Amino acid sequence: MIFSKEEIILAYTVEKCPKCEKLNRRDFCEGDVLFNSSSKCTFCDGITTIEKIYGETLQK
Amino acid sequence: MLNFTDFEQMFSMGDDGDTLMMLVWIIPIVIFVFYGQQIQLLVTSGEIKKAIKKIDKFRSDSKKELIDYVKKNLDPVDDPTKKIEQFLDYFTIMPVDMDPNGIMDKVRHTVRSREDYTRNHVKSLSPNMGEIELTRVQTLIEIASSLQMIHKIVNHMFLTAKKQKNYPLILPLQMMLPFIMEHAKAMDASIPAFKTGQPLGDGIGPMVVGKMMLDKEKEIISFQTALAKIDYEQRKLFLVKAEGPGSTVGRPDDALQKIVDNNKIDAIVMIDAALKMEGEDSASVARGFGAAIGGIGTEKFQIEDIATQNKIPVFSIIVKQSVKEAITLMTKEIADQADNVRSQVYEMILENTLEGQSVVVIGVGNTAGVPQ
Repeated sequence: MIFSKEEIILAYTVEKCPKCEKLNRRDFCEGDVLFNSSSKCTFCDGITTIEKIYGETLQK
Repeated sequence: MLNFTDFEQMFSMGDDGDTLMMLVWIIPIVIFVFYGQQIQLLVTSGEIKKAIKKIDKFRSDSKKELIDYVKKNLDPVDDPTKKIEQFLDYFTIMPVDMDPNGIMDKVRHTVRSREDYTRNHVKSLSPNMGEIELTRVQTLIEIASSLQMIHKIVNHMFLTAKKQKNYPLILPLQMMLPFIMEHAKAMDASIPAFKTGQPLGDGIGPMVVGKMMLDKEKEIISFQTALAKIDYEQRKLFLVKAEGPGSTVGRPDDALQKIVDNNKIDAIVMIDAALKMEGEDSASVARGFGAAIGGIGTEKFQIEDIATQNKIPVFSIIVKQSVKEAITLMTKEIADQADNVRSQVYEMILENTLEGQSVVVIGVGNTAGVPQ
């Protein structure tokens, strides 16, 4: 169709530090699973867990 | 004064020289009277042909994605193409319902036999396949075979109408096509989420209950279904969800039966995704009564039956979403509702039960990417 735009879904992973409660959003990587330990918190020495995985639609 | 000759001139009825103009008016009318249906059929055919081409592309893409996924990730013993093509052509004949007595057991038996057959044969593709991979391949097969079936049916209806040159025959197809295309597009868009193990919109129920289960002792209560028991405000909660993070909906009906057989249950709370109506906001949350569970109907029947026999009230919380949102990667709006839904579950339990009572909380939906 002439007027329809192509849609791309971008996947994001939101990590939460249980210690300082800070949230960090990054691109989704294969192997990310909800509630699993993810990476070291950039604000304190806590280990973040994956709080959410979601997609945002981008229209081209 | 009105001059009637002007009208006669306007409609070219005044003199013999305007016979040609008269024919220009009459010929199309005659053509439309005798060939109107064929012309409409021709115009509608163009639209339907385009849609069939799109569905055919979705069908072949889903098959290709499935075969590529098996080849790349599962290290199959032989070339899986032929076997996968066989799976896609498998059909299910539903039991006869002229005598509806016992129909639910028959339908359940047929559907579960099909699931067991697919699972066993998918396993034979690669002996090293894990349970999570197995559920993913099973779901990808379901998507590819559904798209193949949609293509077959739409194409059949179109070709029949064309062969018979029967315009009314094509009308139901033309009316249903936008809805069919919505489903087909949603299925096509869901493939990447299933392949990478991302949570779906339909996974909001398991996501809410899964978080309540974290760090608690879990057991497998029925096929692909997990149970955790927790205490909350002097109430005993039985948390049930499909066993994640594989792509499965589990068997919450069997789980409920086992729990009710061994415990006195005072309330059931079900959390599920539900299709929103046009005009409703996506990710809006609503509370209600009755079993919130989709599917073919056998699970809903069994849950309602257990609740009725044991006089247990069934409460439900639904998160509204479109077909596409339900089977593709969870949107931000739906994911953001998880905490709100969880607090509503606790609120519902406090409002409807007393201290010392027991409640079953079921997170209904596909648990792809959602562990517990």
